[in-house]
Amino acid sequence: MHCRKVLELLPKFIENDFSEEERAAVEAHLKECEECRLEFEAMGRLVDTLESIPPIGVPSSFKEAVMRALPAKKPPGEK
Amino acid sequence: MASVQQKILTDTEVIRTVLDGDQEAFAVIVERYQKGLANYIFHMVRHYEESLELTQEVFLKAYANLSSFDSAYKFSTWLYKIASNHTIDHMRKQRAPESPIEVPDDEGGGTYELPLESHGQSPHESLAMKDMMGRIREAVEELPSSYRELVILRHFNFRSYEEMAKITGLPLGTVKNRIFRARQMLMERLKDVR
Repeated sequence: MHCRKVLELLPKFIENDFSEEERAAVEAHLKECEECRLEFEAMGRLVDTLESIPPIGVPSSFKEAVMRALPAKKPPGEK
Repeated sequence: MASVQQKILTDTEVIRTVLDGDQEAFAVIVERYQKGLANYIFHMVRHYEESLELTQEVFLKAYANLSSFDSAYKFSTWLYKIASNHTIDHMRKQRAPESPIEVPDDEGGGTYELPLESHGQSPHESLAMKDMMGRIREAVEELPSSYRELVILRHFNFRSYEEMAKITGLPLGTVKNRIFRARQMLMERLKDVR
């Protein structure tokens, strides 16, 4: 397998979304190609960092504001 | 009333309670989804106050249409689909320029720190991480919106590919291809920091 094909497949590897055939070919390539291996590791770090970005906070008064904005007490299913 | 007991009810059970006339039970739904929805919308519109307003509107829309929710489906998917449609409609109306994150302070001028939740790092780690995260966040913001939405749903809101396809109305294959492509774009843009 060539570097270009491997680099195309790397995003799928991060998700463990690949066929057995692809896995074997990519793994064999990564063992021998340092450039692709570094790329693979960098993509793993990117996903890890993306997923560790803390969420923005919501004001503690938000829920009450939504509840106050609901229409007057009529169940939404009622015509 | 939204009791402690209701907190362990499934979404579908809580909705049944609301539809049966207990409006206050809707607070459980708001509590469960406010943070996820606000984050999703914030990363789409890139304006904190606006994202909170839109999040509130999404909850009001969901409430108004609660009786049309089909419990054969996952409630979170239904709710995120409302959020996706509402946010994209809003962005189309605004014809939002691709501008940097805007977070006005109370006076309407300058900026303030985003109220990010702490992950318990030391001040030094926190600063380095903040810088790195800031760069990554900017790179995400710069993605075309059709790619950005998927990255947000996947990596900030942890939605499955199947859910993402239902939320966006895109075929599963397109969702996968776009998210893979989006990651490649991010890698390109972050070459100097990785």
